[in-house]
Amino acid sequence: MTGQISRMLVVLSLSFRSSLQGLRLFGLAAFAAVPTVLVGAIASTGASPTLLENASELFVGALTLPVVIMVIVLVIAVAQFRNEIDAETLVYLSDRSVGRGTVVFGKFFGAWGASLALALPAALLPFAVVSAAGGGPSSPTVVPAVAASVLLATAAYVGFFLFLGLVSRSALFIGLLFGFLWEELLLLLPGDAPRLTLAFYFRSFLSGEISSGPLAHFAGAVPGTLAAVTLFSVTVAFLVLTVAAFQSLETAPDRGNA
Amino acid sequence: MTDPVIQAVDVTKRYGEVLGLNGFTATIGPGITGLIGPNGAGKSTFFRLLVGQLKVDAGDLRVLGYNPWGEGEFRRMVGYCPEHSTLFEWMTARDFLTSLLRVDGFPKAEAHARATEAIATVGLSEAQDRRLVTYSKGMRQRVKLAQSIAHDPALILLDEPLNGVDPVGRAAVMSLLRRLQRSGRHVLVSSHVLYEVERLTDQIVMITNGRVIAYGDLHRIRSLIDAHPHVIDIETPDPRGVARVLASMDHVVSIEFPGEGRLRVQSRSPEEFYGALPGLVVREGLDIRAVGSADDNLDAVFRYLSEGGHGPR
Repeated sequence: MTGQISRMLVVLSLSFRSSLQGLRLFGLAAFAAVPTVLVGAIASTGASPTLLENASELFVGALTLPVVIMVIVLVIAVAQFRNEIDAETLVYLSDRSVGRGTVVFGKFFGAWGASLALALPAALLPFAVVSAAGGGPSSPTVVPAVAASVLLATAAYVGFFLFLGLVSRSALFIGLLFGFLWEELLLLLPGDAPRLTLAFYFRSFLSGEISSGPLAHFAGAVPGTLAAVTLFSVTVAFLVLTVAAFQSLETAPDRGNA
Repeated sequence: MTDPVIQAVDVTKRYGEVLGLNGFTATIGPGITGLIGPNGAGKSTFFRLLVGQLKVDAGDLRVLGYNPWGEGEFRRMVGYCPEHSTLFEWMTARDFLTSLLRVDGFPKAEAHARATEAIATVGLSEAQDRRLVTYSKGMRQRVKLAQSIAHDPALILLDEPLNGVDPVGRAAVMSLLRRLQRSGRHVLVSSHVLYEVERLTDQIVMITNGRVIAYGDLHRIRSLIDAHPHVIDIETPDPRGVARVLASMDHVVSIEFPGEGRLRVQSRSPEEFYGALPGLVVREGLDIRAVGSADDNLDAVFRYLSEGGHGPR
């Protein structure tokens, strides 16, 4: 068991480091900086602390969670298996004596860590800018709630996109459809349809915390504990599916040079 | 009787409608064995089945007595050098090997020592702390070879390990394979150039269209190949200078310049050509970056073998 954990940590390290390399790191970091840059730009105009607070909370619900974090997690998590299958580098891990479940968990935690390294600053730095400009969040629990929401949301998305990247050659495209159609459109529907999205649960964390933007009047939120349990369960479910798929799927690319 | 290292009985592998392997049957014993076939013959498919990247659709495949599909510590007994040249580009060679060894369960210090030793074995010590993205194709081949032997496996599977390696590097790789054999390792090495493999072993499995068409009996196979001039592609920044030197070889029948920095040589005696090339490189100071072999000539031999009633023997 200890052996498998230390092997998993090596895979985790490989995944984390490969996720944050070169142009990908540059592009994603620039993307993650957008909310902070926008709040900073507003601050530079001499806007009042209240306006800055409203802007930072608006961006969390309208930009950071639904767009910035979605893209960061999608790019990083899908690449874990899909890029390596396409580049034929997955064989360097899969033909080792390490268990395939260990590889999946290592890749999950590596991708989750890399996603958080970009997503947490994207979500929290705007509040730091507000604070530096003399303002503060509308409630003392806003920042912890946003952080918890980002932690659970990224875990669930990484789990789903990791699975998608393993089983589908069109993972990136399907992931985009999921992130920007399924997650956003279902939230707009009445009744229980929003409960079929992950966004519904991590937004529930922010219900009552955020006073500006689309999260200010988020309807139908479930209690935080239920939301956390649901997101955790989804994460575990996709991890189990990914392990099962990795143990049963062939991992060679399309027939190339046979 | 010695147990077979690899035993394939009627192994079939399909990619949709396309047959990658079609009733492939072969028993591969100890020592070095060459798997010879033109591009697209099924060599890489066979290797991917051997390392459990693909699953057999029909038939039975055993590697060191184990079914390679699935996982387990038996994988530590096998080293695999794939044909494709992509690596973890952002890593250094030493970091790459150390990480793979640690994934294999070696403690950090031992992984580091083994990585350093394997890199030295393939002659890359000076470049071991450079990022892999800066490596030439020949250096990549040697890194792949190093990662396949670093954990000291009993069986080493090498898919076209000499492809793109410069002449001096080829000689070094072949010498290494002989040393591995002498130390009791088993090696299965694929190539579409019979002469490369022939210098290593007389155990040959010939494959085309996913089937074994012949094995052993090198003399007969060689005489067939000798009847077809052998085509060799060379990459060099000085094609005319290299051509001048090669033109002095009696068995070279033609030299063409198919593109910038490239030479295509036809030789009636590839064995002599490959044997003399490393010496010429050193003596004449030739700057040869890569040597490859077009397999048109081998195709002709394979057609003869597969169509002329010279089935598996």
